[in-house]
Amino acid sequence: MSSQAKSARRIEKIAIANRGEVAVRIIHACQELGIRTVLLHSEADQGSRAWRLADERVCIGPAPTAESYLRIDRNIEGAIAAGAQAIHPGFGFLSENADFAAACEKAGLIFIGPRAETIRALGDKISAKKLIEKANVPTVPGYMGEDQRTARLIVEAERIGFPVIVKAAAGGGGRGMKVIRSRAEAGELIASAQREAQSAFGSSTVFLEKYLDHAKHIEFQIFGDFTGRCVHLFERECSVQRRHQKIVEEALSPSLTPELREKMAKAAVALAETAGYSGAGTVEFLVQDGEFYFLEMNTRLQVEHPVTEMVLGVDLVKAQILNAAKEFRLWKQEELVPRGHAIECRVYAEDPYNRGLPSTGRLIGMHWPEGPGRRFEVGFEAGDEITPFYDPMIAKIIVWDEDRPRAIRKMLRVLDETIIFGVRTNIPYLKAILSHPEFVSGTMTTQFIQTYFPEGLEPRELSDFEKTFAAKALPLVRHGQAVDSGAAPSSGVKDPWREGWRFV
Amino acid sequence: MKKLVLDIDGRLVEGTAAYDKGTLWVHLNGQTYTVDIAQRRTTRGSKAGSAAAHFGEIGAPMPGKVIKINGQVGDEVAENQVLVVMEAMKMEYTLKAPIKSRITEILCEPGQQVALGQILMKLDKA
Repeated sequence: MSSQAKSARRIEKIAIANRGEVAVRIIHACQELGIRTVLLHSEADQGSRAWRLADERVCIGPAPTAESYLRIDRNIEGAIAAGAQAIHPGFGFLSENADFAAACEKAGLIFIGPRAETIRALGDKISAKKLIEKANVPTVPGYMGEDQRTARLIVEAERIGFPVIVKAAAGGGGRGMKVIRSRAEAGELIASAQREAQSAFGSSTVFLEKYLDHAKHIEFQIFGDFTGRCVHLFERECSVQRRHQKIVEEALSPSLTPELREKMAKAAVALAETAGYSGAGTVEFLVQDGEFYFLEMNTRLQVEHPVTEMVLGVDLVKAQILNAAKEFRLWKQEELVPRGHAIECRVYAEDPYNRGLPSTGRLIGMHWPEGPGRRFEVGFEAGDEITPFYDPMIAKIIVWDEDRPRAIRKMLRVLDETIIFGVRTNIPYLKAILSHPEFVSGTMTTQFIQTYFPEGLEPRELSDFEKTFAAKALPLVRHGQAVDSGAAPSSGVKDPWREGWRFV
Repeated sequence: MKKLVLDIDGRLVEGTAAYDKGTLWVHLNGQTYTVDIAQRRTTRGSKAGSAAAHFGEIGAPMPGKVIKINGQVGDEVAENQVLVVMEAMKMEYTLKAPIKSRITEILCEPGQQVALGQILMKLDKA
């Protein structure tokens, strides 16, 4: 078949069907491998950091994702027009879309990820669940039928017993997920999840399952090579989630016994090998009371892949690219020996003192405090705009140290020194999470945020010291800056130091 | 963005500050805060964001898209009943009735992009 000839072709240029920090991450890997890059971007991302770093750029449509990043045809046309041999889909958008992988293959492009049929079998949670049941891996009780009428879904939710979680069948991450606690709210929440699923993934199909209320989220990184061999790269714990969106991730988990770790790793590898998996993938589990339950398999790179890279000394993006080019030597399982501890914090543009509502605007200044064992995956630079069209993640901060307590202390220090001006960020929220006794002890569950920080943070008063510093700083930074035409001189209005301030 | 070393009560203190469009941004001792120099009536964030700046007005807590409107003009709504569903950054947010009330005006429609603080619905005491 012609795909043999195609895949034997050397990859000299990769098209990136993504944006933000992951596009930058892929560009860096390509640059180090001597591969040229072409960024497939929306109009809104023109001039963004990834746009500036890429060797070439093709605009594939307007800002809304449905008209650009989710358009299979435009991504493929863009890649071909630029002369790329392969497409890296990053995460989110089309990364787990089997139709996209198939369309790439049909167009003679190498899709950097598993084969289309593997994505179809594993990426769709309904068929993945059936597959893993065959492999005898425990799953959470649920409903994954084709009857998607709200009335039927409500009946099934009652059968499973509340609390029940409703999820997008085609999704990944937290999009389109809702917890239903009673029959009364079931209809509204199911309809909302279906709309979010439609908007985020182009399919409104959802499924239901029993909601485990004191479980830990622990996932195994796996990697299969083009010959069908597969290894695991240990686990990550991502129990700190808000509305099912991960906020803080770490490797390894502070709470797995060696026996449980081995059992889960075996299950993850067995699933991947059964599916003939090629490339990077993640098998997610919930762990409660010493039992583990398969949650889903993500057939792509994960946002939190850097913590695995830090404890194992590997580069998963390069491994993906080399595997796609068939120039890859898979690690032997015994070569993969974790060392130390890594933590990742996702920095979101949101207001931690106002229920985490998104904050948009132009970034006017940023500082990332470099140092040993500190890594910054940044999608933006000063002058870039955080728009309401996309995910609110500005950057990821990853630290490594020899043990978990040191890694936590390092992260707290880095968060103290990180500066982001122009939009409000969740940095104060991240610091509160990392300082919380339950996080420090490592016993947190997926209920952590809802239990301790359901409404974000309480505002606190600005001290006289802070007011004095601001008052003295103002004339030193105001000069030469554009001032709103409507801005009154501070002397002519109410004292701004008294009431105009806030923490961000 | 400027790094500053300032004399505060005889002590040299290092911090970072920037000024943009009427807002002073300060980073000091691991904390970031803003001061709204222009004294606009509505500062960004919580003040403009709270749905009940005036009772009876449901405002958009962030820029985004209206996905769904529950109810029609004249409908009576219960406390905490979902009135408007919005989407921003691919997540949905629900705006609820602060108290039992009646819908008097609907100022948005599904699919519409709305600005921060824009009034989406008006209510009256039922």
